[in-house]
Amino acid sequence: MDSPPEEKGYKHITIIWEVNMKKTGSVLLTALLLTVFLAGCGGEQDASGSDRQEGGTGTTASGQLNLFTWEGMFPQELLDGFEEETGYRINYVNFDYDETMLAKLEASKGGDYDLVIADDYIIETVIAEELAQALDTSRIENYGNIDAVYQGQFYDPDDQYTVPFGAGVQTIVYDPAQVDITINGYADLWDESLADSIGIIANYRVIDGLALKVLGESYNTEDLDKIKEAGDLLKDLAPNIRLIKDDNLQDDLISGEVSAAVMYTSQVTTAKLANPDLEIVYPSEGIGFGIMAGFIPSDAPNADAAYAFLDYLLDAENAAAYFEYLGYYSTNVAANDYLSDDMKDLLTIPEGYATDMEMIQNIGSEAEQLHSTEWVEFKTAAGQ
Amino acid sequence: MKNRTVLPNIYLIVILCLFYLPIILVILYSFNVSRISSVWEGFTLDWYRELLRDRSMFEALRNSLILAALSSAAAGVVGTLGATGMARRRMRGGKAMEYLSTLPIMIPEIILGLVLLVFFSALGLPFGMVTLVIAHTIFCIPYVYLMVKARLAGLDKSYVEAARDLGASEMRAFYDITLPLTAPAIVSGVLLSFAMSFDDVIISVFVTGANTNTLPIKIYSQLKTGVTPKTNALCAVIFLVTVFLGGLSAWIARPRKKDINI
Amino acid sequence: MMSKKNRQSARESGASRLLVAPMYLITLFFVLGPLIYMVVLSFQQRAEVWGVENRFTIGNYLRIFEPVYMNTFIQSLKLALLSTALIVLIGYPFGYFMAKLSTKWRSRAMFALIIPFWTSSLMRLYGWIIVFRANGVLDTILMRFGLTDAPLKLLYTYPAVVTGMIYVLLPFMIYAVYASVEKMDWSLIEAARDLGASPVRAFVTVCLPLTLPGLFSGVILTFIPSMGLYFIADILGGNKIVLIGNVIQEQLMKAHDWPFAAALAIVLMLLTSLLLFLYGKITKSDSLEGLI
Repeated sequence: MDSPPEEKGYKHITIIWEVNMKKTGSVLLTALLLTVFLAGCGGEQDASGSDRQEGGTGTTASGQLNLFTWEGMFPQELLDGFEEETGYRINYVNFDYDETMLAKLEASKGGDYDLVIADDYIIETVIAEELAQALDTSRIENYGNIDAVYQGQFYDPDDQYTVPFGAGVQTIVYDPAQVDITINGYADLWDESLADSIGIIANYRVIDGLALKVLGESYNTEDLDKIKEAGDLLKDLAPNIRLIKDDNLQDDLISGEVSAAVMYTSQVTTAKLANPDLEIVYPSEGIGFGIMAGFIPSDAPNADAAYAFLDYLLDAENAAAYFEYLGYYSTNVAANDYLSDDMKDLLTIPEGYATDMEMIQNIGSEAEQLHSTEWVEFKTAAGQ
Repeated sequence: MKNRTVLPNIYLIVILCLFYLPIILVILYSFNVSRISSVWEGFTLDWYRELLRDRSMFEALRNSLILAALSSAAAGVVGTLGATGMARRRMRGGKAMEYLSTLPIMIPEIILGLVLLVFFSALGLPFGMVTLVIAHTIFCIPYVYLMVKARLAGLDKSYVEAARDLGASEMRAFYDITLPLTAPAIVSGVLLSFAMSFDDVIISVFVTGANTNTLPIKIYSQLKTGVTPKTNALCAVIFLVTVFLGGLSAWIARPRKKDINI
Repeated sequence: MMSKKNRQSARESGASRLLVAPMYLITLFFVLGPLIYMVVLSFQQRAEVWGVENRFTIGNYLRIFEPVYMNTFIQSLKLALLSTALIVLIGYPFGYFMAKLSTKWRSRAMFALIIPFWTSSLMRLYGWIIVFRANGVLDTILMRFGLTDAPLKLLYTYPAVVTGMIYVLLPFMIYAVYASVEKMDWSLIEAARDLGASPVRAFVTVCLPLTLPGLFSGVILTFIPSMGLYFIADILGGNKIVLIGNVIQEQLMKAHDWPFAAALAIVLMLLTSLLLFLYGKITKSDSLEGLI
């Protein structure tokens, strides 16, 4: 067969070319138009950091607070209130994991962000790496509102660098309508009637720790044999696990996907509010306890804004609004008076438990390695 | 050559329907009164109102669009040129280069992101749009490159030869023959790159700066700490805008009477 | 005196070098650089508190041979192969049929495909949760039609993860196949039919080989990510399906063991490359040769 006649082929090609070019051109054009339009829209909020972002180690305008923490920590009204009261503009930047935060903080050598709120164990590392600056507490009027119970902890023993922003414990919550037994402690989770019906958070220190607690050990033991024993015990739990998820585990409890769960305090709060029939259990073996805290990075571009925010959030009424939105235990003793009645129980630790709690701290690398290996084995077993 | 039977078209439609199913559901639940997605409590437009008031959302959207446009354009140019050059002549180290340039999609995003973070930091690059565009271009190039390469591979060289015989120069032959014939592949590659960049979360999280938030990062953060229907509303809006864009450009590029029927 | 052919040759390679220059430069600097860093990292040791120690060790690679991690590689491989195979089965016909549509429908189909892509993939996966969860859309439909009488509990299972994988990666295959089928010379098929071949025979002997480059690209674009996409296993599998991507993420984040994560990633990379190399050899598909 002859090759196609050149002329006809050539015309053929140029037509495809023109049609395709027109299509591509029009797509690009409309995309460009849309971008310009949006740029025009967004342009109203001037002094927007996005236009001035290339200052690597942060030369931001004097009117901006770079707040670096998880999404969804504050109700919008609270943030708006801060902006109105102080005139600072909040640039709310998010991270998903504490480790991401640390990596970014290191990369920027303690700059770029003004106030960071993260978990206790990571702050210990931040301070050790000299990425936080000491707080001048005289600049924070409401500093006295902090509940002393939550101060002087392992990550900042002398309270030089941090302000607590909430505390939580990992508790068991279950739906008595779906669960036949009464759950009093971790050991009950191994019960056969709970097959394929438990949801747990994805934090391996907590879950491995669950088994450690059943064995009567500390969360922070570095004894490799004990950790291995806990791992083996945990594998027996695998058939009961339906779901391992860190975010929004409460949704699955509420929807009935799981009938029992080990969750973070904020999730517990949301679940209980949605379904008051749920039972909250403070395990008899003892519980793990954690604090979120805020610190100012060593090279923060606008520490003044950070101090203003700290002071603002330590105000009793603001703090109450914050904790009600967040769902974690209040670390502000003055705020407790402003908590609404139905939330009060959920946001304060019950009497008598303050002594039975242990904080989960950083452990040595060998123990950590063993933990993570046991965890992978456990997850794999759960997936069978 | 049209599909002769109706069966292929049914297949296309069924698959496309399945494609859109989750999206339709997401949009549906954006009207949910309840914050929790598993319970339907009633119809409301509140979430859309909240969305409109959220100016950080608009900023993030703008950033994402600019980022995606720049990255996919850069990848389109570099990838096409690269594929064309590689196809013409066996370059020294060509195979190795090809392998290297497609590596970014072979490495899990999370470690690529972290490694880029450290690398950019060592280079002293400012974290923000600059690092984002570089990072996105890196992982977009393979898409364009592979698509164009596949297209070129099956191309009949006789077209080019014919043009050269007729006296066309290198550039002319490339511009008039090769480029039009590979245009669908280029367009596919660029569109895909745009989508990948627009949707990228993991790498963006690592290499972005304090002042540059992108839309997928925002959505991701929201999904992590509390899915409210506001996120659904956002996706619904994006979806509608995309449909509008697509419809608009299809309308502009519609084959008119005077175009020859291909 | 250089012959005309030689001069042309020289100019051609000059032009070719210019064409590939941008790609070469970007690759060398921004891909090779980080890659070298990653390799170096994999031989280092995780420091006690944070970061890495400057000690050389192959311990990370040795650790990969522990049964639990080897098992994870196998799991990831199985899932990737299964997903890719299903994607080829579903995607090839789609791309093929799409290429045979009339021009106006073709571009419509192309856009119909890309539009869901532009909505966040995360949100779309959450859409699947609505479908799969207990008493969700799927259950409601099945129970309404009397096919099942209790919730299927499909969510957080292996099939849910496979569905998610296929869903996210299918467009790549479709586009690759489409781009290849679209430029195929249909007269060749007609010729085969004229010579007496059945439609199936014509397809297998003519169409399939010609579209192999497209298929190959599609497999590359699908298989590779499927080895590393951990968030699908997270969201739809309830974190119980452990893939290498999940392990890498966890090692990088919670365990902050960057060297081990780097070692895992490099092994993953090598494994993927090896498989692709073998695949290329088997299908004898080397696009460069198509041009000669």
